[in-house]
Amino acid sequence: MRATVIVLGTTFILAAATAPRVVRQAPAPNAGAKDTIRFVAHPDNIPPGFPSNDHPLALKNPYEGNAQALKTGSQLYVAYNCIDCHGADGSGAMGPSLADSRWHFGGTPAEVFESIYEGRPDGMPTWGGRITNDQIWMLVTYVRSLSAGKDVATENFAGATVERTGH
Amino acid sequence: MTHRLTLIALGAVAAVAAACGGGNQTTARTDSTGTANATVAATSVAGTRIGAPRTTAAGEWQMPAGDYASSRFSDLSQITPANAPNLRASWTFSTGVLRGHEGQPLVVNNTMYLVTPYPNVSYALDLAQAGQPLKWKFRPENAQAAAGQACCDVVNRGAAYADGKIFYNLLDGHTVAIDANTGKQLWRTKMADLARGETMTMAPIVVKGKVLVGSSGGEMGVRGWLAAIDANSGKELWRGYNTGSDRDVKVGPRFKSFYPSGTGTDLGLTSWPGDTWKQGGAAAWGWLSYDPELNLVYYGTSNPGPWNEGVRKGDNKWSCAIMARDADTGELRWAFQVTPHDMWDYDTVNENILVDLPLGGTTRKTLVHFDRNGFGYTIDRATGEVLVAQPFVQMNWSTGVDLKTGRPNVVPEKMTVEGKIVKDICPSLEGGKNQQPAAFSPRTGLFYVPTNNLCMDFEVRPVSYIPGTPYIGANAPEKKGPGGHGGEFIAWDATSGKKVWGIQEPFPVWGGALATAGGVVFYGTLDGWFKAVDASSGKELWKFKVGSGVVGNPISYLGPDGKQYIAVYSGIGGDMGLLIAGDVAANLPYDVRERGSTLPDLGRWTSWGGMLFVFSL
Repeated sequence: MRATVIVLGTTFILAAATAPRVVRQAPAPNAGAKDTIRFVAHPDNIPPGFPSNDHPLALKNPYEGNAQALKTGSQLYVAYNCIDCHGADGSGAMGPSLADSRWHFGGTPAEVFESIYEGRPDGMPTWGGRITNDQIWMLVTYVRSLSAGKDVATENFAGATVERTGH
Repeated sequence: MTHRLTLIALGAVAAVAAACGGGNQTTARTDSTGTANATVAATSVAGTRIGAPRTTAAGEWQMPAGDYASSRFSDLSQITPANAPNLRASWTFSTGVLRGHEGQPLVVNNTMYLVTPYPNVSYALDLAQAGQPLKWKFRPENAQAAAGQACCDVVNRGAAYADGKIFYNLLDGHTVAIDANTGKQLWRTKMADLARGETMTMAPIVVKGKVLVGSSGGEMGVRGWLAAIDANSGKELWRGYNTGSDRDVKVGPRFKSFYPSGTGTDLGLTSWPGDTWKQGGAAAWGWLSYDPELNLVYYGTSNPGPWNEGVRKGDNKWSCAIMARDADTGELRWAFQVTPHDMWDYDTVNENILVDLPLGGTTRKTLVHFDRNGFGYTIDRATGEVLVAQPFVQMNWSTGVDLKTGRPNVVPEKMTVEGKIVKDICPSLEGGKNQQPAAFSPRTGLFYVPTNNLCMDFEVRPVSYIPGTPYIGANAPEKKGPGGHGGEFIAWDATSGKKVWGIQEPFPVWGGALATAGGVVFYGTLDGWFKAVDASSGKELWKFKVGSGVVGNPISYLGPDGKQYIAVYSGIGGDMGLLIAGDVAANLPYDVRERGSTLPDLGRWTSWGGMLFVFSL
């Protein structure tokens, strides 16, 4: 639904550039569910305050930029066995890499908090209620630091001289 | 039966003739162990016999290792060293799934059965029709959360066929029975507890109407067991734990340990401090063998949990042990602990190949076991007595096995302990050999063993047990061992404990072996080569670059056209393809890994895949 809004919103903006006249859609006489969605999704008909992806969850990390929290987070990462699933420095093991700036469920502080708090399908355990939110935020601070400065997009083997035996 | 004995006798005569004529069959291959007598003439050993002779058709493959003895030997002989260079790809089948394709397909009644990695889809292919169309496809319900509890990739090591049914395990802890003709699920039984970190990856065997299964989770603080399920009803018949009281472990009046250190009351409790046996690991995630005459099921147990040895002083029985259970009742008849108080993650789950061998002037019923700890064992399978124990790879953690006690003599400098990083331990935690199974040929009397050449540093750290998370307590980075090659495919004489020849490979040889009566042995490599080699000399006869690294095991079968076929999965994964590979994946936009340091070159040669390849002349 949200994605649909964005696409149509873009279309509307483009349309407005060539046709300044505002278009108001009236519902068709026998509006089925499909028509209803189109009607609701029209930017003119979006009620004020309807969430869009331009404004993700507003949860704020109280430890953003806090070096001590980052250090404690790194210790919690070991104490709670995160290291064994996600690898030292988040390199990836049983679970995905946390050091690649790529996020399955979002990389904003709030989204990383949600992943740890709620757990995720495919096996991320639920930590909310088992450890404090404070500790989760410190883990968020540490985990989000692991990608800093890394470009993992290209793997170039040129010049890699590794001895081969046999063939 | 008669013709097989004749062949062995002829082989022995030929070998004697060759020796007398100075025909010393040595190999030009480099031997990396540095032992003085590096090359040994390959001879046939008279009096060798597969311990549990096949009762199923030579052209079929009904159970994971082909037979109960785990020989992975095919009686088919159309493919020979002379014509093997003419092998070609005959057909392929994409499994539709990525991740590690361990295990092997089955062939029964001109139908091929496959099981994929998670989500553990199974297929039945009609071999009698061009294009091998599906007879059926089965997509089980299989909890997603299981993927986060499996330490070492979401692999499955295969199914077993019996009585018109296909049996296999789901990653999420269920065992299923499927009608082999229709693909309908007959029953589904929960055997393992995902909430406690238990998953299932092993291949069952079916013995006298009982489906035998075990669990995974040695790194998750589980408590291992072997269980029997009624093949018709799906009801659990017995479960023998691998740690705990005699009652739980099923140690009764018929238990006899060959060695004194295995004799005593409640050793599964007393060899652990306090309650640590409850998270003691000892999971049965490997291969099963069965001797119908002795009525014994053989399997090995995993490492004890956690890797941090300080938490669990004591022998930690029965982790890292070979277990022999009565197939009817599950009673433990004997057990031999290969690595007491393991400090290196040397699981003992590798296959036990049942072979009758000439030793000391008589024929002994043995099992041959290539352990993670680097020793190749020849053990009396009736009693658990160690007859031979010699290193089959480079090792430095032990100076040898004391045959009086069966225990390894440990080098003090290689003991792992909290507070220091122990460097350069060989073999690494992946072992001299891991899940990749060896094969035996009664024609040559040799074992064909895919091995690793890896070493590690080991740093113990404190760890808490949190159910559903790993219970490890160590960092253990690995690297290639002395010589710089990652592995070696070797031929081994289990009567003398000697390597006969070896083929070095750039990467650990993580796929299994197949031996055939035609004198050709097959195996696949991590960099995607599927190879045929001469069973006597190790000379490479043929190879083909399959789509992705091989971590599965080849089988041979007779097609409806009467031709011999060789089938193997390609699809890198498992430890090598997930945990230490770095980025060999492509399909997960959110998981991009840096090049691993252990095998930095691996991603150059392979990425994830999922394809069955079938070859013929």
